[in-house]
Amino acid sequence: MKRLLSIALAGLLMGGMVVAEEKLSMSAQDRALYEEMLENNPADIFVEEGAEHLEELGGEEALAKFLEIDEEELPKYLAGFPRYIPKIGMVVAIDQMLQAFMYDRGKQPYPLKSAEMDGFAAYVKSLANGEKINIDVNANEAMQAAYRLGEEVFKMRRGKRGLSCDSCHSKDVVGLRLRMQILPDLGDPKVKAAATWPAYRMTKGKMFTLQKRFQQCMKNALLAQIPLGSPQMVALEVYVTNMAKGQEIQIPGLKR
Amino acid sequence: MRGWLVLTLGATLLCSFAKDYKDVVEHPDASAILEQDKLPPPKRYTMPKGCITDDPDAIARGRYIFHNLNGKKAKTPPPKGLPRFIVVNGKKVPKQYGNCVACHNIEGAQGPGNVGPDLHRYKELFIDTGARDYAFVYQKIADARVDNPTTHMTINLTTGLFTPKEICEIASYVVSKKEE
Ligand code: HEC
Ligand code: HEC
Repeated sequence: MKRLLSIALAGLLMGGMVVAEEKLSMSAQDRALYEEMLENNPADIFVEEGAEHLEELGGEEALAKFLEIDEEELPKYLAGFPRYIPKIGMVVAIDQMLQAFMYDRGKQPYPLKSAEMDGFAAYVKSLANGEKINIDVNANEAMQAAYRLGEEVFKMRRGKRGLSCDSCHSKDVVGLRLRMQILPDLGDPKVKAAATWPAYRMTKGKMFTLQKRFQQCMKNALLAQIPLGSPQMVALEVYVTNMAKGQEIQIPGLKR
Repeated sequence: MRGWLVLTLGATLLCSFAKDYKDVVEHPDASAILEQDKLPPPKRYTMPKGCITDDPDAIARGRYIFHNLNGKKAKTPPPKGLPRFIVVNGKKVPKQYGNCVACHNIEGAQGPGNVGPDLHRYKELFIDTGARDYAFVYQKIADARVDNPTTHMTINLTTGLFTPKEICEIASYVVSKKEE
């Protein structure tokens, strides 16, 4: 019921936004609707499903044990992903860490593409709600290498239009208008990009992870999509997450 | 000898344990995809003979390419000689257009962006004054990096997105006389 209400609200808001697009800012009315939707985010239901997945696997206690940390440290620790995890042997995002955890608990890991994994990863990241992103790109050589690779992938011009992430998200173009969209500054505390994904996208009526959001930008701009969980994709997440370091995590986010 | 055996066994066990996680955590390598997708180096082009034209059909195609993203998204039917879909590797896919309006304002633009300069009255302001010539416009649309290595503009010929003829049609539209 709550979900239906949220979806109806999302519809209203989108309708309103089409009008608002004309003047490129949200009206007070749209703003109020948006605030209300944040309270009743349609993605909450997927996050709740994620809570059930974690419960089945032994809850926060089992997860903390797998990560070899105290249960109280869990939120702060989760606010530092992607991380290098020695026993996995690579820099991983939360969803990949959860694949290893599921395996450890004797369960077949959900594929990174699956909606189950999105809900699961969203819930686990939401355990860090209220924490500030504390990714450490100098923590070790693996993280340093991932950061460098992330920067390279972010700036690599490619695809049929020869664009890079930087073409649309560099300091000298953010705030400008691409058709009707303002190009977002991914490090802006108002955008809170890395701190608010997984997020519900009203234009798509679905929740997406940060890596899936990257894939949407790639698709729109005709860059070949790179697969979820690839070292290059995780590196991109490291690079973009570092832009939002210090910003407060709020999962699930709500986006246009 | 015995110690050595134990050590190897131990190492094998350790490795197989570590390997287990790498086997279950998805981490496909994307380097081949990126390598293939990479933008070739900047290229200077010679504008073909008879490139800039006042043929209304050519200009209509240029206009359509300027104002639309692709054949699937376009709301009006394309003009004569411009398909909505093309076949790539035996698969029917939407034809990509220029979507120049995403970054540039111009006569009749709907929802233009402002990442690139305003192209209103281009011929009068830039060509007729001698500030630019046709070859400059052709090169800019084909591969803008030649005169601006850090440009944010799309690369349209070096990537194979368009043919030289299509670049000519787009350029012809940009420099044509237009009604608002
Ligand atoms: C052609 C322009 C363009 C390119 C290239 C591009 N983006 Fe975007 N990106 C946008 C626009 C426009 C938005 C905002 C869309 C909206 O408001 O719905 C956006 C939104 C985003 C967001 C969500 C921000 C938020 O609100 O939290 C992320 C993250 C992002 N882009 C990352 C990337 C990455 C990584 C790449 C490269 C792989 C990339 N983008 C390439 C135009 C682009
Ligand atoms: C992603 C943004 C973007 C897109 C899409 C784009 N441009 Fe541009 N364009 C720019 C920017 C930025 C400049 C200025 C920098 C430069 O000249 O390289 C520019 C410059 C130009 C100029 C030169 C203006 C002058 O005289 O200095 C022309 C002509 C032009 N664009 C035409 C086009 C056409 C035609 C298309 C579509 C096929 C297009 N642009 C697509 C961003 C864009």
